[in-house]
Amino acid sequence: MSPKPLIHVVDDDESLRTALLELLDAAGFDATGYASTGAFLLQPPPDRPGCVLLDVRMPGPSGLELQAALQRQGISLPVIFLTGHADVPTSVRAMKAGAVDFLEKPVERDTLLDALSRALARDALQRTASEEARRQSSRLAALTPRERAIFDRIVAGKLNKQIADDLGIGLRTVKAYRAQLMVKLGVDSAAELGRLAGEMRDKPA
Amino acid sequence: MPHAAIAAEEPGNVLVLHSNSRLAPGNIAADRGLRDAIASGAVPAQVFSEFLDQPAFGGDAYERTMARYLREKYAMHPPRAIVAVSDNAFDFLLRNRADLFDGVPLVHLGVSKAHLQSIGGLPADIAGVPIEYDFSGTIKQALHWHPGARRLVVVTGASERDRGWEARLRREAPAVADSVPVEFLAGLSTTSLQERLKNLGPDAVVFTPGYYLDGDGRISSPRESAAMIAATSSAPVYGALDGFIGVGVVGGRVPNFEQMGREAGEIVNALFAGTAPASLRLPEIEHASLQVDWRQVQRWGIDEKLIPADAVIRFREPTFWQSYRDAAIVTAAIILVQAALIATLLLERRRRRSAESAVQKQRTELAHASRLAVAGELTASIAHEINQPLGAIQTSADAADLILQAGGDRRDDLLRIVTRIRRDNLRASDVIRRLRALFAKHEPERQRVDLNAAVSDAVMLLRTEARHREVTVDLLLAPAPAFLVGDPTQIQQVLIILVLNAMDAVQEVPDDRRTIVVSVERRADGNVITVRDRGCGIAPEHAAKLFDSFFTTKPRGMGLGLSIARTIVEAHGGRITVESRQGEGAVFRVELPASDVAEPVALTSATVR
Repeated sequence: MSPKPLIHVVDDDESLRTALLELLDAAGFDATGYASTGAFLLQPPPDRPGCVLLDVRMPGPSGLELQAALQRQGISLPVIFLTGHADVPTSVRAMKAGAVDFLEKPVERDTLLDALSRALARDALQRTASEEARRQSSRLAALTPRERAIFDRIVAGKLNKQIADDLGIGLRTVKAYRAQLMVKLGVDSAAELGRLAGEMRDKPA
Repeated sequence: MPHAAIAAEEPGNVLVLHSNSRLAPGNIAADRGLRDAIASGAVPAQVFSEFLDQPAFGGDAYERTMARYLREKYAMHPPRAIVAVSDNAFDFLLRNRADLFDGVPLVHLGVSKAHLQSIGGLPADIAGVPIEYDFSGTIKQALHWHPGARRLVVVTGASERDRGWEARLRREAPAVADSVPVEFLAGLSTTSLQERLKNLGPDAVVFTPGYYLDGDGRISSPRESAAMIAATSSAPVYGALDGFIGVGVVGGRVPNFEQMGREAGEIVNALFAGTAPASLRLPEIEHASLQVDWRQVQRWGIDEKLIPADAVIRFREPTFWQSYRDAAIVTAAIILVQAALIATLLLERRRRRSAESAVQKQRTELAHASRLAVAGELTASIAHEINQPLGAIQTSADAADLILQAGGDRRDDLLRIVTRIRRDNLRASDVIRRLRALFAKHEPERQRVDLNAAVSDAVMLLRTEARHREVTVDLLLAPAPAFLVGDPTQIQQVLIILVLNAMDAVQEVPDDRRTIVVSVERRADGNVITVRDRGCGIAPEHAAKLFDSFFTTKPRGMGLGLSIARTIVEAHGGRITVESRQGEGAVFRVELPASDVAEPVALTSATVR
């Protein structure tokens, strides 16, 4: 059971920030407010599902700069921008950088809640994906050197015969390792192992 | 017969002897005529005048004294001609001439014809201008002017001469009075005379030759008695002496003594020129003219049309035009010119006024336009300023809605939300109030302004713009209110212009220089607002033109900001100055008179972002 999502509200306007926190609370979310980009960055967000509600224009680093900083730090929290004055270049830049939405103040509740649910859905998706990746990488880490060498060759797309030749082992031994790999990596079939290897190939570690 | 030949060209003295007083109007007029004539004659002569002062003085002893006086006085300057004015002087000289001035020719003047006739044959060296008092003519004229008169009252005196006139009038008056009965008030005491005159009633006409002596023996001149009679009488009074005109007598046919004097003077001249008195041609014309006192004419309602054209009308207040024609023309011309000048000046002034008010209006328009331009520049910030609380309100309302939908007792939360909604609403309307104050078109006003408050307000308005442009505005206020008398909006406008300019100046400089310091100081000699930036500074060649209208170095500037700032500051009795080093920054200093001057004090600091 994943914990309740936490919404991060970054806006220098105290009353709007408070109102947003109030609304989010009423809507059943946990929410924390930050008066500036710096305040948010000073405390790394806890590893919880959630998203960031970000004012574009703030004293000091702007919302866009925070978005970039989060990406650099590998914090994948989805970002919803709020702005008092939406101009096209800024919104394009924000969306390109992966923002979930770019909302103009004053924002409609349903619009906001809709954007929030999309953001949280994306977060959940990202979380699942990264969980899978993390699990797989830990599974990979659990492989013995010999198993790893055989998996690497499977990822490289080599046939059992080629692997056996490469490693100077018998074809039967290769097949045995393959079955063992399927168990260790949590895949049910040879086909699934091949797909996993394909994914690994596309995403070089 | 000894003939006193008078050599031509020899200067000679003339002795003029008057019968009565020096001040008698007839004497004065006669003297004037005489002297005029003699002065214009060929022979230079000195004229001496003597007066017998009859009837105040008289009698043998007096005559002897006067004779001796004249003899002794004129021994040194013997006259070469003697003029006797009026009957008494003539008689006196007839009696004493041989004794006093033997052989000196005698010229008479104003001696009545009747008197001359009564004397009979005169010596050959006596010539003159006789007088005829025209009593009959005067009475006739009077009755003509008062056709309703039912009686003619003749007033005479008690002296010998008065009796003579009375006798004459008793002869003449009835003849001219025609059917009008004639009454005589002769030789009455002044009191009883006055009593009678008072009760005459309107249907009477009074005639008097004046008199010398009343029934009580009181002496007066004919003129004085005539004045008394005119003052007392309830009927119009006429008389035939020159001096009567003006004392209350309506008028009469009076002898012209000046004319007679002039003719007597001509006789003297002729004698001096060597003409023998006997051969002189004496004038026969009557030197009398009808004279009237215009005031009396009006008082008695005499028909103006009945006054003959040749009558001498005296004491008519001449019309303004008659009296001062030239002066009036000149004055009128001057007044016209002045009026034209004044009108021109007024017109000019009005033109100037309207021009000034047009300028003022344009200035207000311009100020407004510039404020609108500023408003345009600040649109984004202003939208943000208003949107922020509006967004907060909407969000709060949404939150409250959700809480209500969820049910349960969250009364405290709702109260808190409502409080915040109210606060945000105030905040939004406050922004709008500030904006309206700043950008609405309005006439300049004068009120007590706290510079601390005005400047803070303006800087608040610029806060968002500053954030947008990534500029910091530091505000240093005076520790106590800094008052001045003026228009707070205009002061704020000046500040906004200066701060926006400063923001432009720091546009291109690094972050550590992107701070603008606005300070308010109270000094002994007034208030000072300073706007300091560390921006690009002002090029020396631009410094002089900085405050000129339409001078700008900005691609989209109108060049009005600083010009308007200066206009406003100067309208407040202050001045605006700038110090700058190119590349290092600029300091704009606005000095404004304080409404209560205080000691210079340390600044407190506040930073507004």
